[in-house]
Amino acid sequence: MSGLLQHINFPGEEIPWLRDMRCRAAAAFASAGVPTAKVEAWKYTKPRGLNTNDFVVSLPSSQLTKVKPKLPFEAYTIYFENGIFNPALSNLPQGVEVLPLIEALMFRPEIRPLVNAETDFAAYPFAALNTAYLNEGVFIRIDSRVELKKKLAIIYHTDAAGRNLLCNLHNLVILEEGASAELVEYYCYDGELKSRYLTNVVNEFYLRRGAFLHHYKVQNEAFKAAHIALNLVDVAKDGGYCAFCLQKGADIARNETRVRLKDEGASAEVDAVYVMNGWATLDTTTDIEHLAPCTVSHQLVKGVVGGNAKGVFQGKIHIAPGAVRTEGTQLHKALLLTDAAEVDVKPELEIFADDVKCSHGAASGELDEEQLFYMRSRGIGEGEARQLLIDAYLDDAISKIEDENIARWITLEAK
Amino acid sequence: MNKITEIADESGDKYKYGFVTDIEAETVPKGLNADIIRLISAKKGEPEWLLDWRLKAFEFWQGMTEPTWAKLKYDKIDYQDLYYYSAPKQKKAPKSLAEVDKNLLETYDKLGIPLKEQEALAGVVAVDAVFDSVSVATTYRAKLAEKGVIFCSISEAVREHPDLVRRYLGSVVPYTDNFFACLNSAVFTDGSFVYIPKGVRCPMELSTYFRINARNTGQFERTLIIADEDSYVSYLEGCTAPQRDENQLHAAIVEIVVLQNAEVKYSTVQNWYPGDKDGKGGVYNFVTKRAACRGNDSKVSWTQVETGSAVTWKYPSCILQGDRSVGEFYSVAVTNNYQQADTGTKMIHLGRDTTSKIISKGISAGFSNQTYRGLVKIGPGAVNARNYSQCDSLLIGQNCGSHTVPYIENRNKTAKIEHEATTSKISDEQLFYCQSRGIGEEEAVSLIVNGFCKEVMQHLPMEFAIEAAKLINISLEGSVG
Repeated sequence: MSGLLQHINFPGEEIPWLRDMRCRAAAAFASAGVPTAKVEAWKYTKPRGLNTNDFVVSLPSSQLTKVKPKLPFEAYTIYFENGIFNPALSNLPQGVEVLPLIEALMFRPEIRPLVNAETDFAAYPFAALNTAYLNEGVFIRIDSRVELKKKLAIIYHTDAAGRNLLCNLHNLVILEEGASAELVEYYCYDGELKSRYLTNVVNEFYLRRGAFLHHYKVQNEAFKAAHIALNLVDVAKDGGYCAFCLQKGADIARNETRVRLKDEGASAEVDAVYVMNGWATLDTTTDIEHLAPCTVSHQLVKGVVGGNAKGVFQGKIHIAPGAVRTEGTQLHKALLLTDAAEVDVKPELEIFADDVKCSHGAASGELDEEQLFYMRSRGIGEGEARQLLIDAYLDDAISKIEDENIARWITLEAK
Repeated sequence: MNKITEIADESGDKYKYGFVTDIEAETVPKGLNADIIRLISAKKGEPEWLLDWRLKAFEFWQGMTEPTWAKLKYDKIDYQDLYYYSAPKQKKAPKSLAEVDKNLLETYDKLGIPLKEQEALAGVVAVDAVFDSVSVATTYRAKLAEKGVIFCSISEAVREHPDLVRRYLGSVVPYTDNFFACLNSAVFTDGSFVYIPKGVRCPMELSTYFRINARNTGQFERTLIIADEDSYVSYLEGCTAPQRDENQLHAAIVEIVVLQNAEVKYSTVQNWYPGDKDGKGGVYNFVTKRAACRGNDSKVSWTQVETGSAVTWKYPSCILQGDRSVGEFYSVAVTNNYQQADTGTKMIHLGRDTTSKIISKGISAGFSNQTYRGLVKIGPGAVNARNYSQCDSLLIGQNCGSHTVPYIENRNKTAKIEHEATTSKISDEQLFYCQSRGIGEEEAVSLIVNGFCKEVMQHLPMEFAIEAAKLINISLEGSVG
């Protein structure tokens, strides 16, 4: 992939700060390269093939499609097509700042320090790659005490023109004091897309005092795609981050979430489900850092693995020295449907304070024969009975979503 | 000159095994190279094949790098600044216990390890005593021989049972396994050898007692236990070292082979010198322990109480090859002051219907850091494998750390794996409850800690359990309030 690091004259090269950061990131990626299984963080998820295939960095083109995927709920939309922002198809909310990230960085120097503020490029090689080509993505700022009435959906759509594309997207979202919003991310593709591409997203969320963000994500990339997402969340006093991610597409995918609970009363709920078949590897990685006393986090991840697929979960709860009266829980469960399915799990507790309540649990197994038998004996066909059991298994996690519309949508997508 | 020197207890530490035995020792020159290995091998009168094996291991080791993945911080070890062989000088090899140097007997007496066979309590345990690099005495050999049980030092086994040793040595932990195991394979000096013949239930508990005495000496012992079909043995291991300011290196290997329907129970109370309250000195304990359940219906159980060592790096493992084989791991690890422990287990399920159970209890106090690191791996052929793991940590004080890193790899859908981990502190309510009933704070803590560890302690042989409970309390003394 090193051949990729060609120099592209993206906007903003004349700003020394931006040029330097891109260069630093490019150098970091060049020296680290695509991680191999020897890198502990990528022990189970091998970004196979990413070295050899020649990806092409996505650039704006004049050909824009007119159709866009529909969401079964009302929402403002921000639309990316083959990694490029398409304002014509977007429907932006009023009274909220939404503009392309690159413009925001050029004209709003005060937000610059927020970009990659705490990202160690050596530890996150894909974030380095992302920053080396920092250009696409949006900047969203929701003012103090503003509550977005409708959901804000970002749709990333890839079609046949997306062959071999490397889409680097970087979003910066700020919720000012007391603001609240529901953000939906939907990664989808055109039915005919059978080629490889790499979506490499970095989301940075800053939740100021008392701000609350719901973050729903559905990853349904084309079956040969690679999807690497890094969500960096910074939660201030009494703020809350509540995330739910469904992964079902792509050949290789990681959804990584790092939450920093920085002040008292900050909380995080990071739930996910993954449903997989074929030869895919889907990875859910979390890193919840409790940096202040009285912070709370909960995680529930459930997976259903079929075919020759491999499910990966790596979850870390870190309690910093002095972060007392904290609570961190984590539970991962996986269902293996076939003989060739595999699941690799690495939960991790790292605790430096004594007055804490932390726990994690992990379990994996197959469908319960007795439950199947029970349903079969009542005249339910085997296929249907299995599907019912799988649905019920996932519903455990999906039912935690408060919003009915979203829960229904995710249930449908998970089938 | 021949006497046991007491070291003044200046720092107020409670390590009661910190004395040094002043005994003339025979050492090889400092440093590590092929000649030193030849010298060690020659001193032990080893056959050609073993020397070759050592040299191959040494060559391989030179190409290896020390692992850094563990959550441990310690000064770099200078492997050239160590003595690799130190043996108490004895005029000639003792033929019976009566001929063993009086000083050595006295040392073991002082450690509470009876080498005199007639002693009442000792009647149930046969002991192999290893002092620095060599085994100085093995008790009850005649009685064991009646049953066909071989219990001797590994050096003797190399001479007297070369076929057995050659067949099994390195078959569970090959020299290429890891950095410290490879070093051990090149320079191991002694250790115990146990062979339980077919159908024999070992009539008494076997035990090895390791003692580091000499300064700047690495201890590299190697234990090999073979349980033939339908046999059973319970094996105990204890260890202590003098209190010294510099760190001592201990890199041991334990290999266990369990054949069809046999069972081995291996218990350890590890009480190497942990360093003083400022973290000075102490033993670096890098140990590779592994059991292979080769036969169907075989069983291995590891029980460990880890209270000593400045740095512990130890993952007793079970390879469950035979169908229906069982692996168990019960562990209590206590760290205080500046101790660091990165310990856990690996359960590798390969056979059908294999089961494993992991119960790990970690207690951190003072400025110590402790990590449970474990692996449960279910191979594609391990149909109906079952694992249950529970890792609980207890924190005492604001400055210690407790970490849990279990790896779970499942490649068989019929496997059932459950893992639970919790971390908490001794709750104020529990303390208050005890104190309101007139139990002092220290005593209350000890009560709660004992309750916390109970599940593991009950798997220890009785005398060991009492000793271990005392040790835990001593290790935690002064950590409250």
